[in-house]
Amino acid sequence: MGLLGGLYAIWLREVKRALRDRGQLIGGVSRPLLWVLIMGIGLNPYFRGEVYGEVQFVVPYTYLQFIFPAVIVLNIMYTSVQSAVSLIWDRQFGFLREVLVSPMPRSLVLLGKILGGSTVAMLHGCLVLALARFADVTLSWFDVLQALGLMFLLSFALTSFGVIIANRIRTFEGFGVFSNAVILPLYFTSSSVFPLDPALTRAQTRVVYPEWLVTLVEINPVTYANDALRGVLLNFNQFDPRLGPVVLVVLALVFFAIALWEFRKA
Amino acid sequence: MQAEEAIYSEPAVRLRNITKRYGETLALDAVNLDIAANQVVALLGPNGAGKTTLLHILCTILQPDNGAAEISGFDILRQPLKARKHLGVVFQEPSLDDRLSVYENLDFHGLVYQVPWRLRRQRIDEVLALVELEEWREEMVRSLSSGMKRRLEIARALIHDSRVILLDEPTVGLDVQSRARIWEYLGYLRRTREITVIVTTHYIDEVEECDEVCIIDKGTILAQGSPQALKQTHGRQVLRVTPRDQAADAEIVALFPDAIRNKSDQLLLQSANPQMIDDFLQQFGTRVRQLDIDTASLESVFLSLTGRELRDKPADAREKTFAFGRRGGDFKR
Repeated sequence: MGLLGGLYAIWLREVKRALRDRGQLIGGVSRPLLWVLIMGIGLNPYFRGEVYGEVQFVVPYTYLQFIFPAVIVLNIMYTSVQSAVSLIWDRQFGFLREVLVSPMPRSLVLLGKILGGSTVAMLHGCLVLALARFADVTLSWFDVLQALGLMFLLSFALTSFGVIIANRIRTFEGFGVFSNAVILPLYFTSSSVFPLDPALTRAQTRVVYPEWLVTLVEINPVTYANDALRGVLLNFNQFDPRLGPVVLVVLALVFFAIALWEFRKA
Repeated sequence: MQAEEAIYSEPAVRLRNITKRYGETLALDAVNLDIAANQVVALLGPNGAGKTTLLHILCTILQPDNGAAEISGFDILRQPLKARKHLGVVFQEPSLDDRLSVYENLDFHGLVYQVPWRLRRQRIDEVLALVELEEWREEMVRSLSSGMKRRLEIARALIHDSRVILLDEPTVGLDVQSRARIWEYLGYLRRTREITVIVTTHYIDEVEECDEVCIIDKGTILAQGSPQALKQTHGRQVLRVTPRDQAADAEIVALFPDAIRNKSDQLLLQSANPQMIDDFLQQFGTRVRQLDIDTASLESVFLSLTGRELRDKPADAREKTFAFGRRGGDFKR
């Protein structure tokens, strides 16, 4: 019971700090608005296009609908990785010591931090989810619950990943550059803004898109997070629907294990 | 000394052969130390003596290369969680979260140390009253002055059932008033709670009121005892003279080969007694610019143990120590 209280304190601190940070909140709101309202609406008419002269619906959804789950993922990515900044902050300003000399085991200290970061990231994902109506995505309560579960797994995995990065980078400035250099490529190669058309065969896909791009998309784990969320929110999957949740669980466990191993050693 | 040890059979802190190296530098050289319970103990030494390293090892954020240590009977290497449970620490650099309020910082600490809700509320009120910060309860920590932050950190270390509290240079960088206040709190604690206070300092005037003083230099403990006892065994009257010219200087040095020259070019003659002072005045009375007689003080204890004055440590070495301490405190180096 006592240890749970400590875990709660560490979690609560992360959440409070994030909610008091105006800049982070503004980013969390403006990013999805930009992507959904401007990118989404702007590109909407071009989405149903021609392939080899023959008109066909690439994806049976509007571009706005298609991009919507990916914007949730994008918002979660930014917030999760940013929340790892708090680890650098704690180290720089000495607060980490306060926790390290306390009777809390290191594993719980890290778990509390990552759960806190995941919670904040999930909240930022929910900010996008609240725009569902504007993107013409209709949701049942069950869909929302499933989506929240997937969003939590993704947040947890990415926050752990952020902590692993934070362990290698000592300055705030370095972290900002690095996180952008990681987030944007991962996002763009995750089949977030363009689909790998399931109607095309693998060979055809490779004719439409260069092979390196297809390979990148296929090895990018974020692809499967996008796919899983699309499956839940739009009933549209480009890959086996069971693959997404499995990839997310494995990512969460592996990244947490690495983060913990490094945190213990430190 | 021996009588005291018999009363407190179980020491609050026990160190055996604790050794720590930073690369080439030997920070702690097989330190053995027993600190009896319910005392205020000062670790006195210049910057770089190894005081901070010793505290970091005790609170388990630094691993010793060799040796063993116990806090209230718990081995710090084998049972670190239990050892830390009854340990309060105030670090040299602030370790508060300045984006949380005063109350939130204290509540966080209470939760992490597993203090039950009711007791937590009560303790928070108590410690805030103790360090006179009640009115700042809901303020963000970043709006506090550095003296108030230090007081808050001391308050925080008292939220849980700490039996041993470690304070690393709690008065450095504070104005005279804040320094006096912090010592007031420590004195109050000793009177009202069963607690062992271990405080490092390089201000010699602060340790007179402590029950016990450990003099530490270059990673070894040179002497341990009550200020009174230390003065009796190691203290001497010191004659502090500034010769008027080179010639007088040379003559004094010739006559007193054990004279020590300090940084402000004064000569310190250690074996001062009334007879010797009279002789000295007769011989050199007209040829010195300034002359002080220091009574047997802790300063002279340090001088006779190390051959240096405590306050003489040059500034550049001091800065090196700070860098060194930071490296030592950095968990990943």
